[in-house]
Amino acid sequence: MSRIALEGVRKRFGETTALDGVDLEARDGELLVVVGPSGCGKSTLLRCVAGLEAVDEGAIRIGDRDVTQLRPAARNISMVFQSYALFPHLTVRENIAFGLVVREESKQVVRERVAEASELVGVVDFLERRPYQLSGGERQRVALARALVRRPDAFLLDEPLSNLDAGTRVQMRTELRRLHREIGSTMVHVTHDQVEALTLGDRIAVLDAGRVRQVGTPDEVYGRPNDRFVAGFLGSPAMNFFGREAARRFYEIPKGTVLGVRPEHVRIGTHGLRTRVDLVEVAGSDAYVHLDRGLVARVPAHLRPDEGANVGAAFDRGAAHLFDEATGERREWQ
Amino acid sequence: MRAGERKWGGWRQPAAIAVAVAFLLPLWFMVSGSLREPGLPPPRAPELIPSPISTASYHEAFDLVDLALYTVNSLIVVALTVPLAVLVASLAGFAMLLVAGRARVVLVVFSFAALMIPVTALLVPRFTMFRWLGLIDTWVPLIAPALLGLSPFYVLLFYWSFRRLPLELFEAARLEGMSPFGMWRRLGMPLVRPVTIAVALLAFIASWGNFLEPLVYLFDPDLYTLPLGLRSLETLDRTNYPMLLAGAVVATAPVVFAFMIAQRYFLHEDRGAGWLGR
Repeated sequence: MSRIALEGVRKRFGETTALDGVDLEARDGELLVVVGPSGCGKSTLLRCVAGLEAVDEGAIRIGDRDVTQLRPAARNISMVFQSYALFPHLTVRENIAFGLVVREESKQVVRERVAEASELVGVVDFLERRPYQLSGGERQRVALARALVRRPDAFLLDEPLSNLDAGTRVQMRTELRRLHREIGSTMVHVTHDQVEALTLGDRIAVLDAGRVRQVGTPDEVYGRPNDRFVAGFLGSPAMNFFGREAARRFYEIPKGTVLGVRPEHVRIGTHGLRTRVDLVEVAGSDAYVHLDRGLVARVPAHLRPDEGANVGAAFDRGAAHLFDEATGERREWQ
Repeated sequence: MRAGERKWGGWRQPAAIAVAVAFLLPLWFMVSGSLREPGLPPPRAPELIPSPISTASYHEAFDLVDLALYTVNSLIVVALTVPLAVLVASLAGFAMLLVAGRARVVLVVFSFAALMIPVTALLVPRFTMFRWLGLIDTWVPLIAPALLGLSPFYVLLFYWSFRRLPLELFEAARLEGMSPFGMWRRLGMPLVRPVTIAVALLAFIASWGNFLEPLVYLFDPDLYTLPLGLRSLETLDRTNYPMLLAGAVVATAPVVFAFMIAQRYFLHEDRGAGWLGR
């Protein structure tokens, strides 16, 4: 078990800056989720920690060691790849044992550790099969077992759930959480899926254009976003934003600011701003109500208004966020 | 896919038979011609089964020149050339995969350029070089090109095959501390087996049928390979067609045999979708 720390890490690919001075720490035993849109540098960040990419500037520490110049194998971390990267010509057992065999562990140790890891992720029943005979979820488990078997200092997970179908993804998400609780190792999990980030992480780091925008617990990041990007990226449907003029219909806001309110904080009823219901999308127990003033509200499906109805829309001032119009930074209500 | 199968389903078998007949017929006439009595002229009309059947042409061919010795010589040359060519070409192809960015482009372009040079253009410089090294009239000039993978085409073939494998497989191995040689041996080679067999087969055919280089480099008849033996037959008894065809059968049989063995591996390598985890 070890903490992972990035200190001022920069990485460029030609003209493109993938990581632009990243300072980030995954605490000992923590499951840190790095989330961001495609191309924000989150996979590069993971590959730099793994040693698969060399950093241009800055330092990476695992535990107390500076590993910036160490080769990947000397960093004692395990990585789970998006495509699982299972060796197709080897059986599940051989795949799991791979790292131990390369490190020339004794047969006894290999046997014991493989049994232990396959038990932990539930792949005992198909140890003699080959990867192409397994479903996506099963392959994912094998990839996890392969990462576990070496008892590394930390785990790096690169979008491990993104190739799974929706049902399996939710199930594996829960299992990943359970697994983390059982082994208690430091894990850095990269994803573009904000729901995954919010449900899985002890803490979340939101990355955009190679910079860390905010780090905090899911509650902090969702409830008190540092800037407009974080506010807009997390949450589905996305937060509503209003300029000063549009916001005036609800509250007076300071000059040079933008008002943001989450759809679930918008109340539809008889009070508030009179508006027409443009469109209603039902998503299971929730309904997303699009109002004709560009406002989206999230209400329980059984309380949804009809399309075309005239309703009142309102929200509490305390639930709304203020952001600087120019910099996007969070501003507090006066 | 399925619609395509249905569309072609009815045609596939007759088409396959037509192709097989087109390729088998000359082989058949070669064998049947070799079984005619020695010294007979070619039949006026194609003869499927000669009458009477005789193996005397084979005896005559083996008596006239030492075909047995030449066959053994060819087998030795091939046995040294083919494994060496596969080894070097696959290692070179794998190295091209591992080197970074620009160096890789240079290597690929260089290999392509080398591919464009006709073998005959190299004949004189090579001869001069081997003479300077004192290796004329040995098998070394026949085997030495295998130290360069025999042909840049084989190197590129391996490179392309390795490149088709997901890069993450090799990265996963790197994280486990596997050496580049280990990756080549335990990941790369097992995953490109059909290509290895194809290259081995092509190298076998090229080496076995090589006429020009033995002709240029070998003077001692005890070192002759089979293609030179065939030429000796032709020189000694130009009009004895059954005997010439008997020699041709001896020269062709190993190639057909090698292909029959190799094609099993081609057909058995299909493991369906998701084989590479994609």
